[in-house]
Amino acid sequence: MGFFMDGLDAEAYDRSYKDSQLVKRIISYFRPRLRLMLTVAVLVVLGSLLDAAFPILIARSIDMLQSARAFQIALLLVAFILASGALSWVFNLFRQWFSARAVGDVVLQLRRDTFNAVMSRDMSFFDEFSSGKIVSRVTSDTDKFATVVTLTLNLLSQILLFFLIAGILLVRNWHLALLALSIMPAIVLVALGFRRLARSSTQRSQRSLARVNANVQEVVSGITVAKNFRQEQNMYDEFKKVNEQSYHVNLRAGYLYNGIFPVLIALANIGTTIVIYFGGQDVFSHNISAGDWFLFLQSIGLLWLPLTSIASFWSQFQLGLAASERVFALLDAEPRVRQIDKQPVTHLSGKIDFRDVYFSYDDRQTVLVDFNFTIQAGETVALVGHTGAGKSSLGKLVARFYEFQGGQLLIDGRDIRTFDLHDYHRHLGVVPQVPFLFSGTIADNIRYARPEASDEEVATIAQQIGSGDWLESLPDGLQTLVGEEGKALSMGQRQLVALARVLLQNPSIIILDEATASVDPLTEAQIQEGLDTLLKGRSAIIIAHRLSTIRHADRIIVLDRGRIVEEGSHEALMTQGGHYAQLYNTYFRHQSPDYKPGEGFVPVLIPARNESEGM
Amino acid sequence: MASRQEFTVTGEYVYNRASPTRWIVSHFLRYKRYVLAYMLTAILANILINSFIALLTGAAFDAVSRDDASGRSVLLRITLSLLGVVLVGVLMDLGARLSSEIMGKRIARDARNELYLSLLGKSQTFHNRQRVGDVMARASNDMTSLSDMIVPGFDIIFDSFLSIVVVVTSIAFLNVQLLLAPLLFVVAFLFALRRYSRKLNPVSDAMRAQFGTTNAVLNEAVAGIEVVKATAQEAQEQRKFGENAMRYRDYFVKSGQIQGRYLPTLLVAFALAGAFLHALFLVTQHQISIGTLVAYMGLMTILRYPTYISIWTFSLVQLGIAGAERILKLMKEETELDENESGYRAEMRGAIVFEHVTFSYGNTPVLKDLSFHAEPGQTVAIVGQTGAGKSSLTKLVNRIYDVDAGSVRIDGIDVRDWNLDALRSQISTIEQDIFLFSRSISENIAYGLGQKADEAAIKQAAQDAQAHKFIQGFKDGYETVIGERGVTLSGGQRQRIAIARALLTDPRFLILDDSTSAIDSATEDEIQQAIRRVLQGRTTLLITHRISQIRWADKILFLRKGELIDEGTHDELMARCEAYRRIFSHYEPPTAVQEKVASGPLSKEGVL
Repeated sequence: MGFFMDGLDAEAYDRSYKDSQLVKRIISYFRPRLRLMLTVAVLVVLGSLLDAAFPILIARSIDMLQSARAFQIALLLVAFILASGALSWVFNLFRQWFSARAVGDVVLQLRRDTFNAVMSRDMSFFDEFSSGKIVSRVTSDTDKFATVVTLTLNLLSQILLFFLIAGILLVRNWHLALLALSIMPAIVLVALGFRRLARSSTQRSQRSLARVNANVQEVVSGITVAKNFRQEQNMYDEFKKVNEQSYHVNLRAGYLYNGIFPVLIALANIGTTIVIYFGGQDVFSHNISAGDWFLFLQSIGLLWLPLTSIASFWSQFQLGLAASERVFALLDAEPRVRQIDKQPVTHLSGKIDFRDVYFSYDDRQTVLVDFNFTIQAGETVALVGHTGAGKSSLGKLVARFYEFQGGQLLIDGRDIRTFDLHDYHRHLGVVPQVPFLFSGTIADNIRYARPEASDEEVATIAQQIGSGDWLESLPDGLQTLVGEEGKALSMGQRQLVALARVLLQNPSIIILDEATASVDPLTEAQIQEGLDTLLKGRSAIIIAHRLSTIRHADRIIVLDRGRIVEEGSHEALMTQGGHYAQLYNTYFRHQSPDYKPGEGFVPVLIPARNESEGM
Repeated sequence: MASRQEFTVTGEYVYNRASPTRWIVSHFLRYKRYVLAYMLTAILANILINSFIALLTGAAFDAVSRDDASGRSVLLRITLSLLGVVLVGVLMDLGARLSSEIMGKRIARDARNELYLSLLGKSQTFHNRQRVGDVMARASNDMTSLSDMIVPGFDIIFDSFLSIVVVVTSIAFLNVQLLLAPLLFVVAFLFALRRYSRKLNPVSDAMRAQFGTTNAVLNEAVAGIEVVKATAQEAQEQRKFGENAMRYRDYFVKSGQIQGRYLPTLLVAFALAGAFLHALFLVTQHQISIGTLVAYMGLMTILRYPTYISIWTFSLVQLGIAGAERILKLMKEETELDENESGYRAEMRGAIVFEHVTFSYGNTPVLKDLSFHAEPGQTVAIVGQTGAGKSSLTKLVNRIYDVDAGSVRIDGIDVRDWNLDALRSQISTIEQDIFLFSRSISENIAYGLGQKADEAAIKQAAQDAQAHKFIQGFKDGYETVIGERGVTLSGGQRQRIAIARALLTDPRFLILDDSTSAIDSATEDEIQQAIRRVLQGRTTLLITHRISQIRWADKILFLRKGELIDEGTHDELMARCEAYRRIFSHYEPPTAVQEKVASGPLSKEGVL
């Protein structure tokens, strides 16, 4: 039974799918379990019938006593009561079991579908949606999807019960029935009213709680600094203030939640009182029997809680539909990267050709226009330029993470759009700017691209990165656990693992987005040595941020606003004194070991342009 | 400066920390009035709502059965009393709920204050060993468990227990024979409840844990999607996720099965039927009236509600006590370092000597037979792989840790012989993660001096730290509030403010753990100038990623697995240490062009 105070903290959501569309689709997910669902529905109906039977049988028994005083008939009735109680329990058992199975299966299927859908989305999808939102769609929205159906089933049982009992009461004595039922609207209104109050109070208290928590967090994190500077008394006073605030906010929210049941119970009891008085009068006038009077009394006790659920059904149902919409939106999203064929890719030498490529990201920013560029097989190319110059786009286009809108991109002379993407990616090694590790051991991470690799292969590869001595500083060597997202390792160590992973994969083309985060000097040396090993004999596009990398590249390409403005080796470009020299002064000057603040500038012979963006 | 070994507040309430239950009880005892009020109102509410209404209903039945003139007036009287009972009952009920609410929230608030105070009273050693932010975040979850345990946990349990007692007592009051059914039911119910929770709890726990695991797998796949796609491993991730989701589904179904078999519901049905039968029998024997039967049935049906609610509340209590235990453990933790009240106090010159220092952290050896020395004002750069012992070395200086063998001496006196406060007040640490308060910039810079810092000194420190320019760039200048409700500063800006803060307190000894790097050279110029300024005239132990800082240091220590492999100046090490050369090997010597302009008087734009 859905608790009537559920779902108060969900956010508003603009709906674009129609309710009827959503309901149809939800039903289609339950269709494979149609038999199960029908059984559950039947059990629901039977259960309600039996629940309604209970007070009726008791009422009958009382009447039997009053009139015939036949103990045997009463016994029979008691046997019926027992049987109906036991049956009701059995029905409920099966109902819970079957609906758990049906719901469990549906949610599992839905989760699998949404996960697969997420995996097949292209990279622009992940740029648009935060990972938190995506995750919640797969786990919690799929849950809420299922509640739409369980809510509806519960509603069915509760409405059935209500109408059964109300019908019987009305048949017995419509005038008393109306009196008994008169308290019902009050209950519904109070329940709805509380919900509305609680909703706005919840939103307010959530916001203020978030603020208070942030405060508490900060005041607490500052304890070390406080002790450093001997400011304990001030910190304590501040904390007390913030804690007091939090107390008041929590208290107010708690009053509301705790106040509702006493009020609802009181209303139900007032209903009982009404029935007692007027029902009693009716018994005096012989309009109804004592048993019926008892029935009327019992009905209030049976109905007031289900009523609150019925009252809150619509808004909870809407929330469930909103969740379903988010799920379907995910499943229906159009992929932007489309392959026109699925040709197998067995071997690549690594020649990359951009021909008149036009690329616009997100229909708002045009990045590349009439872009022409060739990378020979085995060549290492370093890309430099200001932010927005197009560096990372080039890498992402070759990796087929984004779709270009015009021109051609040829790999080994073949159109990249004709490849089986899976095959193609196997020949591509990508090292992103921030290395990502999966929780597990270092060895697990190194063999991620080729899970079937043996331990010896993994160990050999690890040794090839920077002479392998990075392993000796690890507590358990290759079996060291890296923690969530690799947090147990330092930034530099994570990069080394990422390099090893690509090395094991043995791709023909490498796309490397150099990290900008700083790394301790020893590890830095190992990374540079590892890069040397990795880049040998492979085509590589490097978005370079390190001076040493640039110096070791075969060719440096200088990009500016989507065009190649300069090309050559480091020494040649420095002497030219052009855009590259300017970039050097801005981004690479401080990386030289002989750097001193304010020194080391290279002459720039071309007038400076006003670029103030960073890299 | 006046020092406080333990921070205490006058008039602080003392709680009993012997065990979690005693601690919780001592918190309750602080609010004796509320506890009393709660119990009174809860008992009254229960009696009125559960018992009186049922009894009055029964009386009404009897009145009606008499079928004579007095019956009507009795009915009227009963109705009026009922209204009164309902009214008073709801007031009492509200009173009970609200007082339990106040108690629960107050206890949570007090527990938080208590924890915070105890944390403040711990030594700096304790704090520097753990991230207090993490500790408090954990404690706040436990605080929530604590508060939930009281409200609604205790509240509902007490209420259910009370209901059962009141119902049984009322039935006894009606007719002692009628106790048969309810007592049997209560016993059977307790057994069934225990059996049910024993079956359900492990499944619920497993389900929750599995949900967490599934979520973690999902999270990872999404966060690392670039790697997944690039290595064409979507199938692997789908398999992992599918397996986990399936396991969750299995637990979900199992849980549904167990919940379906919730025996107490069946027991209630049996109990009601049995009670009815028994009552009917007694009616036919003329031992009780129909009114009594009605009242009896009314009371019995009340027993339905405790059966539904209790399960959930028991687990709340379990979680609450577990949380209390963790909080207590944290508060009772002590550090073994002695504060050395009578130790050496003097103005530091800043000469430091490590002699045959050996240090282990728990069972892991960190430093082995390490010896070096530094003269006052020297900058010593420490270089080594992650885990080589660099940070631990620095923590031995201000006695976050103490050596296992050998000695650390400042100005010739062993640090353990120094008065701890005198030692630490002259040593400053600038950490990797710089903490700034959500206050104005000037307040942050002046933090150490409290209210005593004057504007001119703050500005001077900011200028020396190369922070003045960017501070002036903000609309409110030095009064700009930083942090969550204000401006967000970049890593380099935060570092410079921390440097200004350190400059203002002017320590003799500086430990600088510098692991940031600027994106562009102009910012780097500023930061490096600030660092240079703060290094001047101080003995500094420097851990840094900037190779140019290492290059220009007075002395370089090269650590490997806790041992000092080599020490010397940059040129010395380049000549004789191959491992050290590796660091610089990828940076080729400067080109001819650069040599020309290395010391030339060119403008910033370098336009010829």
